[in-house]
Order: sequence, then structure tokens, then C-alpha cells
Amino acid sequence: MAAATKTVDQVAALESYEHGFVTDIDQEFAPKGLNADIVRFISAKKQEPQWMLDWRLEAFERWLAMDEPDWAKVSFPKIDYQDAFYYAAPKAKDGPKSLDEVDPELLAVYAKLGIPLKEQEVLAGVEGAPRYAVDAVFDSVSVVTTFKKELAEAGIIFCPMSEAIRDHGELVRKYLASVVPVSDNYFACLNSAVFSDGSFVYVPPGVRCPMELSTYFRINAENSGQFERTLIIADKGAYVSYLEGCTAPMRDENQLHAAVVELVLLDDAEIKYSTVQNWYPGDPATGKGGIYNFVTKRADCRGDRSKVSWTQVETGSAITWKYPSCVLRGEGSSGEFYSIAITNGRQQADTGTKMIHLGANTRSRIISKGISAGRSSNTYRGLVSAHPKAKGARNFTQCDSLLIGKTCAAHTVPYVEARNGQCVFEHEATTTKLSEDQLFYAMQRGLSQEEAVQLLVNGFVRDVLQQLPMEFAVEAQKLVAISLEGSVG
Amino acid sequence: MTLAAAIRTGDAGLLPSRRDEDWRWTDLRGLLRVLPDASAAFAGDAGAGPFSALGGEDLVLVNGGRAEIAVEAGEARQVCLRFVSRGAGRHASVVRVTLGEGARLRLLESYESDGASLAQVDLDIVQAGQARVERVVIADDDADAVTVSQTQVRLSPGSRFSQSVLTSGARRQRLETRILHPGGQAELRLDGIYLLDGKRHADLTTVVTHQGVDGATGQLTKGVVRDQSRAVFQGRITVAEGADRTAARMAHHGLILSDRAEIDAKPELEIYADDVACAHGNTVGALDQDALFYALQRGIPADEALALLTEAFIGEVVDRIEFEPARDIARAWVTARLGGRP
Repeated sequence: MAAATKTVDQVAALESYEHGFVTDIDQEFAPKGLNADIVRFISAKKQEPQWMLDWRLEAFERWLAMDEPDWAKVSFPKIDYQDAFYYAAPKAKDGPKSLDEVDPELLAVYAKLGIPLKEQEVLAGVEGAPRYAVDAVFDSVSVVTTFKKELAEAGIIFCPMSEAIRDHGELVRKYLASVVPVSDNYFACLNSAVFSDGSFVYVPPGVRCPMELSTYFRINAENSGQFERTLIIADKGAYVSYLEGCTAPMRDENQLHAAVVELVLLDDAEIKYSTVQNWYPGDPATGKGGIYNFVTKRADCRGDRSKVSWTQVETGSAITWKYPSCVLRGEGSSGEFYSIAITNGRQQADTGTKMIHLGANTRSRIISKGISAGRSSNTYRGLVSAHPKAKGARNFTQCDSLLIGKTCAAHTVPYVEARNGQCVFEHEATTTKLSEDQLFYAMQRGLSQEEAVQLLVNGFVRDVLQQLPMEFAVEAQKLVAISLEGSVG
Repeated sequence: MTLAAAIRTGDAGLLPSRRDEDWRWTDLRGLLRVLPDASAAFAGDAGAGPFSALGGEDLVLVNGGRAEIAVEAGEARQVCLRFVSRGAGRHASVVRVTLGEGARLRLLESYESDGASLAQVDLDIVQAGQARVERVVIADDDADAVTVSQTQVRLSPGSRFSQSVLTSGARRQRLETRILHPGGQAELRLDGIYLLDGKRHADLTTVVTHQGVDGATGQLTKGVVRDQSRAVFQGRITVAEGADRTAARMAHHGLILSDRAEIDAKPELEIYADDVACAHGNTVGALDQDALFYALQRGIPADEALALLTEAFIGEVVDRIEFEPARDIARAWVTARLGGRP
């Protein structure tokens, strides 16, 4: 009975996009359009040092000379880069000093999103309850970061990017764009010029971050793009687990999200990066609106025996175009990529990973599960390459696609480049539809068709769900169910 | 076809380059800044080809040309089709093959060159219902030759096409097969073998488009690269909307036997129908050291052990050739290229 009520509630709650509300918050905008003055404006707003402004302007110059790439299996009308706001911030007096000073309406937004921002609530919980520090980014600025003090005691820096540029200029200067160079690609270059905020994390040598760090991104303002920049540095022997969640309101226009995430790992360091991406996917029937999610994510395993693990659950966005990558430079370093990409309605996703083996005895593993329903298209595109020096490199890739319905599409495009005689690369892929036998079995046991599909899909993606941190796993499982709402029958 | 146009006009700017996604690993423009002169007509004797001993009709195109093979309904034929390049010129060949209802054709094809030639072949095969083709190709090119073979096959419901391509590569070589598969119980087998050494390069590209219900495709490619050679495997299976109950399997396995050799692979699935069972597997790597050790400790010399193991590895593909005399020739060809070499 309880299960039945839960399902009814879930269906009622999720008939539309849950996070589709707009919050009317006093916003401050930069003028529409993009030119060098806007770049200067953003830099001035952030009170950045001169070197940062020069860096941005140079990026902008280079961006002007670049062409928008078109090789992905996604189609969308040409983006008018002049018809968007590049800076939108909730109006605040001198920046919030504590949670009490933050606009209560804003806090309400986060409460709606289910983010336990208020530390006291978390602290008041049962002893041993999960605790995680949160950095919340609202449109272009980071509004609040929790647990800073406790983290600082461990020597960990966790703060908004803009603050890091001011207070930890040396560290930022050393590592910024060292993983994703300014002109790496069109969208990364645009991001370099206009990024407004994001998270900065530095974990000093030998420190195991005592809690999960997490960032919530939300695009709220109309016609605005979000360009956040995240930089995480794990020094020798450090460990950090980082979670990222995204939502946006329902709008008729497409909004651009072009983020850059850089991870740097020194010897024996480990970073676990988990994403639950739930941007507004656009109207399922007409395909109107939704976020263009064009993100560059890359981890550089510089140190020997370092390890990076990307886990992503992609359910939102009108278009997703991203390849979280691992550059395995250090000897014995390893990279992992676990992904669930679900597309429904008219969503398009072209996502996957790159495992670039440069060092000896490097290892990587890719598990990708794609599910397409409705009229959507879902592409896995991945590269596994071994440099001549990457002796003993090993990769295992498994990508499975599940098709639900007659009008969706699933593609698998792996690239394998093996340049030495001592590497072993294995790849396997399957594309199938939901098994009718299994569905029948579940249904004759009394499950409705929708429940049966959810059960089977959850089984299909189980390998990846298991890799998610506890807090996310529950949310992700729910998301999987939501995303497939209305895809059968 | 830009390559054909480049050969016709002599304009190197028309050659495909690595900026073309389909040619990213087989760059011709970067290789040939200037095209060789057009080949002169060849008057001498082309000698015997790899399949000449098997009899049947001979169709030899030396330094380009045009030919047609029309197999009437119900007829069965065996044709040795030889593309021979003599000298260092550029030339193109065009061959049209048609098969009537229930016709059968054994197409024993070879590529033979003796210098720095640039050759392009355009082969077009159209099969009516119930027609059967078995195509066995041995590409035995010169190390300085540049060869591109482009084949299009149009199947009909109930027809069958099986192909085995064996190549030892060239300076740059691409053997490309594009197939329109109408479903309707038509069957398709696409196999490939590459055995490369020195600085040779070979690119086996296949594109299969399933357009109707109930189609089947089986694909197995295996190969060995040594020295500084480079093999490319690109396989794409597309299942169009409505082509339900398609069963497609693709496998590619490559062995790298030297530290400077390279294998690039791109097995693609592009699926627009939901009731399908498609899978691909791809492995690239070194020889199993345990197997080698086992052979060594049984007293088999290293060279021989290596030859034995690689031959067994490749043998699986050779065994799938249906026409036994051609299978024997293919096996001997493989053994000759693997035997006794470390």
C-alpha cells in the first residue's frame, strides 16, 4: 500500500518538471551582449586583480577568432551570443557574511531544491548523520558556502572562485587553465572570458577531506547564460569527494550553460567527482526551451598512483554535450567513468569520456548506460588512447544502450587509438530494447507497466548507481524514475 | 567522390584529409602533396594472380579501366577480378556487377601493384532477390603503393552477401565497403584480416545501413601489426527507423606485436529503431603472455610459437570463407606472411 501511495505522490509531484519554478529575486544584470567591456565589467564586479582581467581579455580575443564546433550528433538553431546576459546576480549588500544575511527568498529556493543549506539543521541531526559542505551558485555568483571554518581547520580551502582569486591568487594562478587551456575549445574559451563564479577547492598534502563537498548550480534569470568555473586541486596523498547538482526554471528560450571543471591530482591523490544534472530539459512535446549544457570537464592525474573517478547522472538539459576526461600522466594512475544518461521528450545528448593514457601502467574503466525514450537521441562518444610511452596501459569499456519506444535513437561511437604493443584495451557495447519477457514477468506479479519499467531500468543502471555517494544515490534513483515518466504506453 | 575527382583532374587539393571525420586516420592529402602522373596504358603480360589457379573467368584491369559483370537470373559464375597497377602512375577503375533473381557469383578479387602507384577502384554490386555473392579479396600491394577501393553493395530481400578481405597493407591503403541492407531475411557477412609490417598502413572501413525489418549482419575482423605499421578499423552499423528485428554483431580484435605499431578502431552503432539486438566488441592489445609461455615451455622455439599463436588467432576468420579452394589459398597466404618471423 505504502508503495502505491508513494508512486501516486511521485507521479502527482512529477507531472511537470519539479524545479521549474522561477524565483523573483532582485537581480543585477550586466547589459545584454558580449564584448570586451562586458568582460571588463564582470572582472570589475568581482574585484579581480589586473592579471585576471588580462587573462580574460586574452581569452575573449581568442574566442572571437574561433569557430563554433558542429561535429556532435546534436542539432540546434545557431546561438546568438549577443542576445544573452553574461552576468546576473542576486542583489546583495556587500556580499553575505553569514546565512542570516542571505535573502530569505533565496534560502527558500534552496529549501525547495532540498539542499540542507542550514548547517544547524544538519548539525541538529542524529550523530553520525551525513554532513557535507555546500557552495551554492545562483546564476552568476556564489551565494553561500557552508562549513568553511571546519574545513579551514583541516587546511582545506573551499570557497567561491571569485574569492579564491582574491585570497589565494597564487594557487589559482598556478593551476587555472593548466588542465583545460584557454583555447582548448570554443565553449571553454568563452567560459574563460566570461566566467563569473564557481567553486575552488584545495586539499593539502595527506589530508582526507572530512566531509563531502557539494555545489548546487541554478540558472534563474531569463536569457542568461551560466558560465561557472570549478577548480579542484588534490595535493599529494589527499582525498576529496565532490558533488555537483544543477537545476533551472522552465523557460521558453534556450539558455546556455558552458562550464569548465578542472581537476588536478598530484601523487597518490584521489578525487571522486559526482554530478547529478537535472537542468530543465525543455517541453517534451514541442522541444521548446531547455538548457544547452556544453561543458568541458577534465582531470589531470599528474601524480603517480593518483586516481580520479567521474560519476554522472544526466537526466536534464535540452542538449547535453560533454565528455568528462582523464589525462593519465602519472605512473600507475587510474581513471574511472561511470555514467547514466537518460533522454526523453526531444532531448539530445552526446556524451561520453576520454581516457588518455600517457604514463606507464595506467588504468581506466568506463561504464556507460544510455537510455533513450520519447523522440530523443542519445549518443555515447568516447576516446581511449595510449601513447607509445604508456606501457602496460589497460582499459575496459562497457556501454549499453536501452531503447524505449519506436521514435528514439541510440548511438555508440567509441574511438580507440593504441600506439604501443603493451597495452590492452577492451570494449563492448550492446543496444537493446526493454525485454518483453522481463516486463511481462514483472507485470504479472502485480506491478503496473510504469513500475515495471522503472524496476527494470533501475536494474539496468545499477552498476553506476552503486558508485554514487549515498546522498546522491537516492536522489538519482528518483530522478531516473521521473525522467522516464510517461515514456511507456 | 573526391578521390576519383582528384585522380581524374590531378588536383591534390581534392584528396580527403584528416579533417574529414571518415578519413581521420587515413590522411591522403597530408601524404601526397603532388599526385603522380596519369598511368600509361600497359601492353605487357600481367602474369598470374593469387586466385588464377582456381580457374573460372578472368577479368584483369591493368592501370585502370571499366568493366561490367552481369550474372543472369539463375546463373552461377566464378570470376577472378584483378586490379593490377604497373609503374608509378595514377589511375581509376570502375566495375559494375549485377545479379539477377537467384543468381550466384564467386568474386575472387585481388589488388596487385609493383610501385608507387595511386589507384582507386569503384566497385558497384547490385543483387536481386535470392542472389548470392561470396567475395574474397586479397590485397597484395607494394609497400610504396597508395590504394583506395570503394565498394557499394545493394542487397535485395532474401539475398546473401559474404565478404572476406585479406590485406597486407600498402604505403596507404583503404578498403571500404558500404552496404544497403533491405532486411527481409537478407544475410550479410563482412570479415576482414590485416597482417601488417614495416611501415605499412591498412584501413578497413565498413558501413552497413539496415533499412527494413528482419535483417542480419555478422562482422568479424582480426589483424596483426608489427614494426611501425598502422591498422585502422572503422565499422558503422546504422539501423534506420522501422528496421525492427535487426540482429547485428560486430567484432574487431587487433594484436600489436611491436612497441611502435598502432591500431586505431572506431566501431559505431547508430540505432533509430527499438526492437533490435545490436552489439559490438573491440579488443586491442598484446599477445597473451601466458599462452606464449606455455608454448615455450613445451619446447617450441619463440619464433614458431609466435607464428603458431597468431595464426590460430587469425584462423578463425579464414575458416569462415565458404568456398573451400579460396579458403585454402587464403590460409596459405596468411601462413606465408606470419610464418617464421619473430
